[in-house]
Amino acid sequence: MTRPAQLLHELLDQAAERSPHSVALSTQGGSLTYGELAEASVRMAGRLHVEGLKRGDRMVVTASDGLGIALLVYAASRLGIVFSVLHEQVRGGPLEHVVKDCEPELLVSDDPEVAHTAIRHHLTFLRIEELVRAALDPRTVSAPLPENPGTLTVDPVSLIYTSGTTSLPKAVVSTHQQVLFSATAIQACLDYRADDVVYCPLPLSFDYGLYQVYLSALSGARLHLGTVAEAGPPLLRSLEAAGATVLPGVPSVADRLAWLLRRGTGRLGRLRLLTNTGAALSDSTMSALRDALPQLRIQVMYGLTECKRTAIMPPDGDLTHPGSCGIPLPGTEVFVIGDDGERLPAGEIGQFVVRGPNVMAGYWRRPELTAERFPRTGGLFPELRTGDYGWQDKDGYLYFSGRRDDLYKERGFRLSATEVEAAATRVDGVTSAAVLPPEGRRTAILAVVADITADEVREGMRDHIEPFKIPRRCVRLDALPTNGNGKVDRKKLAALVEQTPATSVITEALQARLAH
Amino acid sequence: MDRQNVLTALEKALTDVLERPVTGLTGDVKLFDDLHLDSTTMLEMLMALEDSIGLVVDPEDLDADDFVSVDTFTDFVLASRLGQVTA
Repeated sequence: MTRPAQLLHELLDQAAERSPHSVALSTQGGSLTYGELAEASVRMAGRLHVEGLKRGDRMVVTASDGLGIALLVYAASRLGIVFSVLHEQVRGGPLEHVVKDCEPELLVSDDPEVAHTAIRHHLTFLRIEELVRAALDPRTVSAPLPENPGTLTVDPVSLIYTSGTTSLPKAVVSTHQQVLFSATAIQACLDYRADDVVYCPLPLSFDYGLYQVYLSALSGARLHLGTVAEAGPPLLRSLEAAGATVLPGVPSVADRLAWLLRRGTGRLGRLRLLTNTGAALSDSTMSALRDALPQLRIQVMYGLTECKRTAIMPPDGDLTHPGSCGIPLPGTEVFVIGDDGERLPAGEIGQFVVRGPNVMAGYWRRPELTAERFPRTGGLFPELRTGDYGWQDKDGYLYFSGRRDDLYKERGFRLSATEVEAAATRVDGVTSAAVLPPEGRRTAILAVVADITADEVREGMRDHIEPFKIPRRCVRLDALPTNGNGKVDRKKLAALVEQTPATSVITEALQARLAH
Repeated sequence: MDRQNVLTALEKALTDVLERPVTGLTGDVKLFDDLHLDSTTMLEMLMALEDSIGLVVDPEDLDADDFVSVDTFTDFVLASRLGQVTA
């Protein structure tokens, strides 16, 4: 028996050894076997080595090319490099923040704007398209890799930037061991098979997207990477064309599929499993999917970047435990504590605390915050205070009820009201800003006091945060209502916003772009 | 239904979906890059057009290439079946 993987790239090497000729990755344009993927990632590592990258260095990738990201991730692991994959929309100010925060040696992208950021910070910049082309070409002479970089399983392998209760994102650090434990535990629950075709509609900058690469390697399944356009309105057709058997999703993906199936003719006979993360799946979507696809099993899940995955529901467990988000991963425990830190009995609402090898190392260069969120019992044993509130039943099923800070979820992204508000107030002409998190069917609303139009505020924010974080609706008010201690009164604000009609005009900035 | 009718219906649909007025659309406007639509808002746009002009969506016919620009999408609508208007 082969020894379990100690370093992330060993997942790939073991898959390549087991079944070198099975397809590992496919896109609409082509495919790569496990053998080819492993060899290409060695060539990619050789290139990074030539560029001077070594164990412990950081590499930041911001791109939408999933194949390129997979190759870079495995190549980084081979050299002991710590990688961070950012959403392709991370540019300008948000990218500057990441660069200053983790001080990478290398930036990889295809965007000239990213190249400029690299030049300003004296970093090496490489184009992902060129890197991928060379890595895939068997004629590329592979530069010799260092004999043994000396990387340990307890060394960091990835930084995942996530929004928190601070105005700027911070990075969750994962070691090889933590990623491998989490991927293996998730695979034990989801049971991907060697003959599965996993259709990934999520960008690999989203950590559940990237984990599909690891889960597929563990099981020997084929991972099909869908582009944003292919996974949009054509989702049903794309799934059919790829022969998808597994669909890892977020609520918007499942909602879209249910909507399309209602108008379709009951196809997708091969789709056997849908998983859901990001936020709760609606009952109506689940029953619509089950009606249209009798063979489909659904597994809802719950987790946060700080421990990757917290809980997974057994297949169709939502039918016997409606409203639950699952049971803790095998080999981990979740318990509920009250405000005094004491454990609460089953049925009582408190904060979820996670223990186990899935609890990540902490936040990059943020010792105080790490100590607060990852405290050590008796000064020894780390646990994760999730900041998520809910209760556990007698059988261990978890029920999520909400958060008590300013984090909210929209379209599967974890967003911080503080971060969005800070970006709005950085726009010239904005005096103050407050976010009303989404409620029911209403999306998040940004309320501002400003001497520019609401649309100009939204446009201006694009210089400071990623477009997907900007609330779709922005209203201008004369003043933000406050409560006794000077804080924004969100209840009064919600009432005030209700009365304000959406009367913004199309901005000059938008018109200028439309004219091109 | 001609191109101008489709364009008018599209402007109204996008105004609803994006929750802000969208006017003066021209054929070369890109749905992703210029209007910043994503896969969710694209679908909401289809829903709005189902209601307003009775667009009949056949999931098997939806192609990523149709959702590139206002022009490609208008061609797609003109080639689609139009049924009953519900709103």
